[in-house]
Amino acid sequence: MSASRLKSVAWDIVRKGWFLALVIFLWWLVTAAGWADPYKLPSPGDVLSTLGNLFTERALLDDLGATLLRLVEGWAIGVTAGVLLGLITGGSRFLEDGIRPVIAGLQAVPTIAFLPLAILWFGFNGTAVLVITAFGTFKPMAISTYSAMHQVSPTLMMAGRAMGARGLFLQRTLVFPAIVPNLVTGLKLSWSFAWRALMAAEIVVTGAQGLGGVLELGREIGAIDVVIAVILVILVVGIVTEQLFFTRLERWVNRRWGLTGAR
Amino acid sequence: MAPALRVNGVSKTYARSESPALTPTSFDVEPGQFVSLVGPSGCGKSTLLGMIAGLITPDEGYIEALGEQVTGPGNGRAIVFQDAALFPWLTLERNVEYGLRAHGVPKAERREKVAHALRMVHLDHVAEKHPYELSGGMRQRASIARALVLEPEILLMDEPFSALDAQTRTLLQDELQRIWLETRPAVVFVTHNLIEAAFLSDTVHLLSSSPGRVVKTYDIGIPRPRDEADPALLDIRHDMLERLRAEVDDAALRRAEFAEVTEVGA
Repeated sequence: MSASRLKSVAWDIVRKGWFLALVIFLWWLVTAAGWADPYKLPSPGDVLSTLGNLFTERALLDDLGATLLRLVEGWAIGVTAGVLLGLITGGSRFLEDGIRPVIAGLQAVPTIAFLPLAILWFGFNGTAVLVITAFGTFKPMAISTYSAMHQVSPTLMMAGRAMGARGLFLQRTLVFPAIVPNLVTGLKLSWSFAWRALMAAEIVVTGAQGLGGVLELGREIGAIDVVIAVILVILVVGIVTEQLFFTRLERWVNRRWGLTGAR
Repeated sequence: MAPALRVNGVSKTYARSESPALTPTSFDVEPGQFVSLVGPSGCGKSTLLGMIAGLITPDEGYIEALGEQVTGPGNGRAIVFQDAALFPWLTLERNVEYGLRAHGVPKAERREKVAHALRMVHLDHVAEKHPYELSGGMRQRASIARALVLEPEILLMDEPFSALDAQTRTLLQDELQRIWLETRPAVVFVTHNLIEAAFLSDTVHLLSSSPGRVVKTYDIGIPRPRDEADPALLDIRHDMLERLRAEVDDAALRRAEFAEVTEVGA
């Protein structure tokens, strides 16, 4: 690595990290000066050591694994259902006009409001949590699919029809690939909705293994350092998926669909 | 011989528009004939092409393609659009193949026809590229290949060269002339470029606006292959310009009279 490259990387870290560093410093200052009750706000150091203990003693990795598995499963189910519903019914004005407002209405209700219903139907267990996660994903994904379909270039549609494409062939080979760049936004959006629904559900359905259960346990036993440690884990998972998955996916799609003009 | 295309008294008025986009218009296109619709913006030439393509429904009249009434896109008609309208997620090869897939042509036959079409427009060396990797001229050639691969008896072209620079445009006009001489579909070609219309066509319908209508029809008897600098073409262009100028003056006159009448009335 050349000196100038090193310098630019260092500057990058400073530019993007100064505020975070300031927040952590203030947090430390407040706890070190004794201005905050350690029961309500433990120091950064305590949280870090609690985090270490959680991984070694309470097997937080298993909880994290269970949560991530549920998240990916629920999200994948919701995405598939949402896109399929959009693609199949979005081709017909009649079907879309009937279905879309209902889903938009459901989207106005926070997904967690359906949890009692899910518990009654599926039991006080991981299945109910999974269903809620999938449902939380499905709503924004279906709406994103409808919107994306309305943005498909009319010229492309005309070109496809003029070449003889019809019905499901048209939906599969033209409409679906045409909406992919817009769907990426929907994928990100629905991922964040899935996360929210999942966390809320896990906090309530404590029987199931998962990060939400650990959060709730921390509150119950008054271990606020556990709560903050789990929040940090959730934060890191969010950043990592955004950077490792969605940013790359977006870049790949934009290149493949010729949206950036880069080769 | 029956005409490839019969346009019979079709007209169109769009909602919220005071004057018809196209007043009743009729003409035939013979098999293998190259016909251009030329005129200023708003003269109804694109509306007319859209109706022939089966993408716009005429208010009155009807259109027959290959003896059958047009009710939608398809049967023997292929279209080339102004902005190429290639599918950005497919390679050129796959783009050209698309119509054959839609028609359920078997794979081996598809490959052969696609290769032939790409050779015809000199794009076989970039078959694996995506549209965004190509220049505007290459994209437009690809969209011509995409239409030709279906071996249409009627080829519809909606201002296919108007987004290109002047040099590319001239090259593609020459190429289109050559390809048409090789394949001889009936062509309906829409353009606002008078010399382009005269250069390429057997027959040119000159249209004018408000309301959109055919004001004069030119039969171009110059033998092919033609040269764009042919003085005979320039004469025809001159005549068309004169004609359009008279139309514009007429329209201005009508508007002025109308304004006077309303002023007096007020």
